[in-house]
Amino acid sequence: MSLANTTLIAHTTKLDLVIRHVLAGLGHGIHAGRERGAGVEFSEYRSYVPGDEWRRVDWKLAARADRYFVREAERDSHVAVWLILDASASMAEPSRSVEGVDKLTYARTLLACVAAIAQRQGDAFGLVILSDGKVTFTPANRGPRHLQRVLAQLQRTTPAGQLPDTATLKASLHFALSPSAIYATSDLLDWPSPLSLALTRLRQMRHDVRVLCLQTQAEIDASFPDTQAYRDPEHEEGVFRFGADLKEGYRRNRMEHFNQVTAQCRKNDMPLTLAAIEQAPGDVLRRWLRRPSR
Amino acid sequence: MNALWWFALPILLLPIWWHRRKRVQNQAALMATARFLPRTEPRQTRVWRWSDPLLLLVRLLLLACLIAWLADPVYPWRGDTVVVANGADSAWVEREVTQAGLAGAERVALPAAQVLSWVHTHEREWSGDARLLVLGDVPMPAAKPVFGREVTVRTQPTAPSKVERHVYIASERPQAWRRLFAAQDGVEKIVVDDTPGATLDLIIWDRAEAPPATLRASLWWVTNPAAFPELATARALDGLQYADSARGRLWHHPAWPPQTVDAARTLLDTWQHLHIGPRPYTMASQVFPAFKGANAPEPSGALRDILLAILVGLFVLERSLTHARRR
Repeated sequence: MSLANTTLIAHTTKLDLVIRHVLAGLGHGIHAGRERGAGVEFSEYRSYVPGDEWRRVDWKLAARADRYFVREAERDSHVAVWLILDASASMAEPSRSVEGVDKLTYARTLLACVAAIAQRQGDAFGLVILSDGKVTFTPANRGPRHLQRVLAQLQRTTPAGQLPDTATLKASLHFALSPSAIYATSDLLDWPSPLSLALTRLRQMRHDVRVLCLQTQAEIDASFPDTQAYRDPEHEEGVFRFGADLKEGYRRNRMEHFNQVTAQCRKNDMPLTLAAIEQAPGDVLRRWLRRPSR
Repeated sequence: MNALWWFALPILLLPIWWHRRKRVQNQAALMATARFLPRTEPRQTRVWRWSDPLLLLVRLLLLACLIAWLADPVYPWRGDTVVVANGADSAWVEREVTQAGLAGAERVALPAAQVLSWVHTHEREWSGDARLLVLGDVPMPAAKPVFGREVTVRTQPTAPSKVERHVYIASERPQAWRRLFAAQDGVEKIVVDDTPGATLDLIIWDRAEAPPATLRASLWWVTNPAAFPELATARALDGLQYADSARGRLWHHPAWPPQTVDAARTLLDTWQHLHIGPRPYTMASQVFPAFKGANAPEPSGALRDILLAILVGLFVLERSLTHARRR
C-alpha cells in the first residue's frame, strides 16, 4: 500500500506493474462476483419436459410432490464489466503538485485495476474510450489475454478533442442489452454532456453505473499560479486569468457545478465518487468499488 | 548619375518590415477548469521574430542586386599597373619600371594614340592605393588630360616610321608636278605611281577630259573643274575650292601647278594639315596629379552581365520559394 501512491503512477508506464501494487493493498472480493456455476444459484423450479437431463431433476421434490421438477439455475446471467474512459482534451489536466501525473493517467490506472479485478473474478470486461469525437470500442471478453489487450488499449490512449456527440455515443451503446456493471471515469466538467446523458440512459436501463469524477488538488483548493494566462483545452477561443481576487469566484462556480452534478447523479441513482488524483489510487479504488450505502 | 540609384537602398527595409512577425503570443497554459474563471483580455507580447528567413534573405539579395544593376558599380580590381604604348623600347621600359619600383605590376600594352583615353575611361577600376605608370611614345593630346587619380607618364620619342604616300599623276606636264613633290622631305615619302594602284592617296588630274569612273582616291587635285560637275558648287578657302564626290574629295586651285617654291611648300603643308592630319608629337614626361573635380567617365557596365545573371537566378529562386511556401 505504501508503494501504491500517485507518484508510482508517475514513475512507471507499465500498467500491469501498477495494478499489482494497487491491488496488493486491496485484497480480493471487494466486488461481489456475479459468476455462478451451473446450478449453484437456485432460480426456480419448472416442470420436467422430455429431453431434460435427469441429473437436473430434483429428486427430493419428486418424492414429496410425486411430479418431476427441474432446478433452473442462473447460468446465463453473467455480468459484464464495462470500463468507460473519457479521454477528451480536458483530461490532460496535470497535477500541479505531483510531477508527471494527469487525470488521464490516473483514470487509466484505476480502470486497469478494475479490469484486473474483473479478470480475476472471471467476469467479462470491455472498454469504451471516448476521445476526439470518436468512440473506440473493445468488446467484452474474459481471460488474461483480453486483459493485456485492454491494458494496451488504455496505454495507447492520448487525450484529444472533445467527447463524441450524443448520436455517436448512443449508437455505440449496443452492449447495453445484457446486464452490466459500468465504471466510468471522467472529469465531468461538461454536465449535461453526451456522456452524462448516456450514463443516465444506461442507469435507466437498470445497469449498475458507477461514476468516478477526477479532480486535482489545485482545483479543489483553487491554488493555481497567477503568473500566466490559461486557456481551455477544449475551447480554443478565450484567455483566462487566475488571481487571488478570482479565487472565491472560481471556487463558487466550481462548487455550483459539482453540486449540480452530484444532485443529478443522486437523482438518477448513480453512485458518484469524487477523487483528487493526488490521493492514493488504492483508497480511491476502494471508495469507488464499495457497495454504495443506500 | 547611375550612382544615385544607391539612394534606393532603403527599399530593403520593406521586406524586412513584411517578414517581421508581430505575432500576438499569449503564453497560456492549459487549464481544464478554465471555464470557471472569468474571461480576460489576452496579454499580448510582441516578439521580434522572422517568418521565412530564407525567403527574406533571397528577397533582400534580389533587391540589392537590382539596385546594384541599376547603379552599375565599378569594382576597383586593378592594382599597380604599367601601361606601355606599343612600339616602346623594351630595354628602356624595363629600366623605367625597375626605377619606379613596379617590377611586379600588371602590364597593359596599348596603341600609343589610345593610352591616355583608355586610362581615363578605366580610371575607377584601380584600387585606391594603386600606382599607375604610362610608358612609351605617348602623343600629346589636343587638350591637357585631367585624371581623378595620380598618373605618371614617362615618354621616350621613338623614331617615326616611314610612311609612303602613293600619288598618280595624269597630266600633259608631269614634270611640273614631280618637281612639286621633290620639295617634300621628312618621314613621309612620296611615291609617284605610273599606273593607278589600289591604294592611292592622291590623284592629280591635269587633263581636260573626265576621269574613268573606276578611278578612286581619297583626294583629287583637279586643274580643270569642267571635268568634275561637283566643283561647280564647291566652297572656297584661300582660293582653294573643295568639294566631295563619289570618287573622293576634290581640290581645285586656278594657279596649279604651283610655280614657285613657296607655293609648292604651301600646297604640301595644306595637304598635310587639312587632309592627312597633324604629325604626332611626343608629349613631355610628367606627372598628372589627382584632380578632385575630375569628371569620372560613366561606368561602362562591366559588371552588368554578371549582375543580370545573378538577378535572374535570384528571381527564379524567390518565385520558387514563394510558391513552395504557399503549398
